[in-house]
Amino acid sequence: MIRAEKLSKHYGSLVALDQVDLHVPKGEILGFLGPNGAGKSTALRLLSGYLPPTAGKASIAGHDLVQDSLSARAHLGYLPEHFVAPADLRVGEYLRFRARLKGLSRAEAKTQIAAVSKRLAISDRLRQPFLALSKGFRQRIGLADALLGDPPALLLDEPFSGLDPLQREEFRSILRELADDGKAILFSSHVLPEVEEIADRILVLVRGRARAVGTLADLRQVQQQTGMCEIRFEGDHQQALSALLSSRWGEQVQGLQEHAGGLRFRLAPEVPRTEVFQTLANADYGVVALQEIQPDLEDLFRQLVTTEAKACEPS
Amino acid sequence: MRAFLALWRRELWSLLIAPYVYVLLGFWYLLNGLMFSTFLEFPEIQADLRLLPPYLFGSGLLVWLLLPAFPPLLAIKLLAEEHRVGTLEPLLTAPVRDISVVLAKYAAVCLFFLLFWGGVLLQFLLLSWHGAELDWARVLGGFVGALMVSFLFLASGLWASSWGGNLVLAAGGGAAINYLLLFLPAFFETDEGRIGAIARACNLPTMLDRSYSAGLVDSAALFYPLALSGLFLYLTWIRLVSRRWVP
Repeated sequence: MIRAEKLSKHYGSLVALDQVDLHVPKGEILGFLGPNGAGKSTALRLLSGYLPPTAGKASIAGHDLVQDSLSARAHLGYLPEHFVAPADLRVGEYLRFRARLKGLSRAEAKTQIAAVSKRLAISDRLRQPFLALSKGFRQRIGLADALLGDPPALLLDEPFSGLDPLQREEFRSILRELADDGKAILFSSHVLPEVEEIADRILVLVRGRARAVGTLADLRQVQQQTGMCEIRFEGDHQQALSALLSSRWGEQVQGLQEHAGGLRFRLAPEVPRTEVFQTLANADYGVVALQEIQPDLEDLFRQLVTTEAKACEPS
Repeated sequence: MRAFLALWRRELWSLLIAPYVYVLLGFWYLLNGLMFSTFLEFPEIQADLRLLPPYLFGSGLLVWLLLPAFPPLLAIKLLAEEHRVGTLEPLLTAPVRDISVVLAKYAAVCLFFLLFWGGVLLQFLLLSWHGAELDWARVLGGFVGALMVSFLFLASGLWASSWGGNLVLAAGGGAAINYLLLFLPAFFETDEGRIGAIARACNLPTMLDRSYSAGLVDSAALFYPLALSGLFLYLTWIRLVSRRWVP
C-alpha cells in the first residue's frame, strides 16, 4: 500500500535520506524509529507528496507520488509533525472544509465527520476554536482530518508527541483499530516504548539510512547474534571492567554500558560465557551473575545509533 | 470543482473576518471620500461631471500611490501566511490540484477586492441619486478598468505570496513589482522608437484614462492586464507545482 524504493533526499551536500526501501501492506503498522534529525519527517514529507525525492520512487496504493500525485494523495491521510488548523475556524468548520476539499459531498462529509468524531471522542469539541484545544485534542483533530475520505494509507509524523500517558494509550488503541480495519499505517517516533508497543514492524533510521527493518523479534534475533550479555556485581565495577577488558576476550567486548547496577555489553557468540564468568568470579570482584539477555528495542536502537556514529567519525 | 469551491469559500471567509483587512478598507474609503469631495470642488468638474471618473478610477492619487501596495497586503494571507503558520502543508498534501489552489485563492481575493472599488462606485450612485447628470459609460468603464488593474496587482501579489513564509518580503515584493509595472512604462515612454511604443502601450494609467474611464474599451487595454495577470498566476502555479517536481 505504501511503498518506497531507493528513496533519497539531498539538500545540497546534506543527505537527509539515503536510498530507503520500505513497504507497508494493508493492515500493518510500520514504526519509523530514529533519533532527532534522522530523516523521519523528511521521509514522511516525501511519502505525502509534499516534497519531491532527489532519487528513488514512492507510491501510495500503486500511484506514483511524482507522476500521479493527485491519485496518490487521494489514497492517503497525512498528519504532519506540527499539525495546525486555521485559527479562524471552529473544529467542525475545519473538518467540513477538509472533507469538501477531499471531494466529499455535503452528506458524505456530515456522515464521515460524525463517524470520525465519535471514534476519536471529539464530538463535544466540534464547536470549539482549534487554538482553544489542548495538544492532545489538536492531535486528534489532525488524525480526524487524515481519516476523512477513508484513505487506505495513513502517514503520521510523531503522532504521540505532546500527549500524556493516558492519551498515548488511547491513541495507540485507535491506531491498532485502524490497522485492524485494513489501513496501512506508517508512523514516526523517537519514543521507543511507543514503537515497541504498537508497531508490527520497525524501521530504524539513522542519519538518513535504514539501519534495520523487521519485527521486534527479527531485530532481537539480529541483536542476539552479536550476544548481548549482562554482568551483575556487588563489588567494584571498575576493577571488574579492567579485568574483563584486559582478559583474552577483551577485544570481543563491544557496546559497553552501565545498566542498573551492572554492565551490559555485546560478546561474540564463540566466546565461552562460562569461562568469562569463572575468570571474573575467581578474581573476587563481587560478580553475582552473568547472563545472556533478551535485548529490548532501546538496546538495539543504541547499538545501531552508536555503530552509525562510529562509522561516520573521521579516521 | 468541489475542492475549488470549498477553498474559494474558505479564502473568502478568511478575508472577511480578518481585522487588518478592514483597517485597509477603512483607510481606502477615507482617502477616497476625501478625494471625492475635493475633486467635486474643482471648477472644471463642477462644469462637466463627465471628467470625474478618470480622477477616481484613472490616474488619480489612489492609482499612483495606494493601488500597487494594497493588493499585495491582501494577497499575503493567501499563501505566505499559510506557509508561516503551517497550514500550507496539510493543504498541499490534500487531493486537490495545485492549479485549483491558485485559482480558488485568486478568485476569492478578486471578489473581495470588489468591496474596495464598490465603495467608489457607490459615490457615483449617491451623486446620481442627488440628481447629478453622469455619463454611465465612463463611470462603469472606469470601474471595470480599475478592477482589471487591481486584479493584475492581486495576481502579482499572489505570486509574491508564494515565495515563502516571510510576510514582509511577500508584501514588499508584490508592491515593488506593482510599482514597477506602473512606473517603468512611464519612464521609457517616448513618441519615437520601438521601446517607446511598447512602453506607451503598457502604460496602465494611460490605459485607464484614455480607454476605460473614457467609456471606451480597446483590445490592447483589455489584453494587457489580462495577459499579465495570467502570467503571474502561471508563475504562482509553477512555484507550487515545482515544489513537487524539482528535487
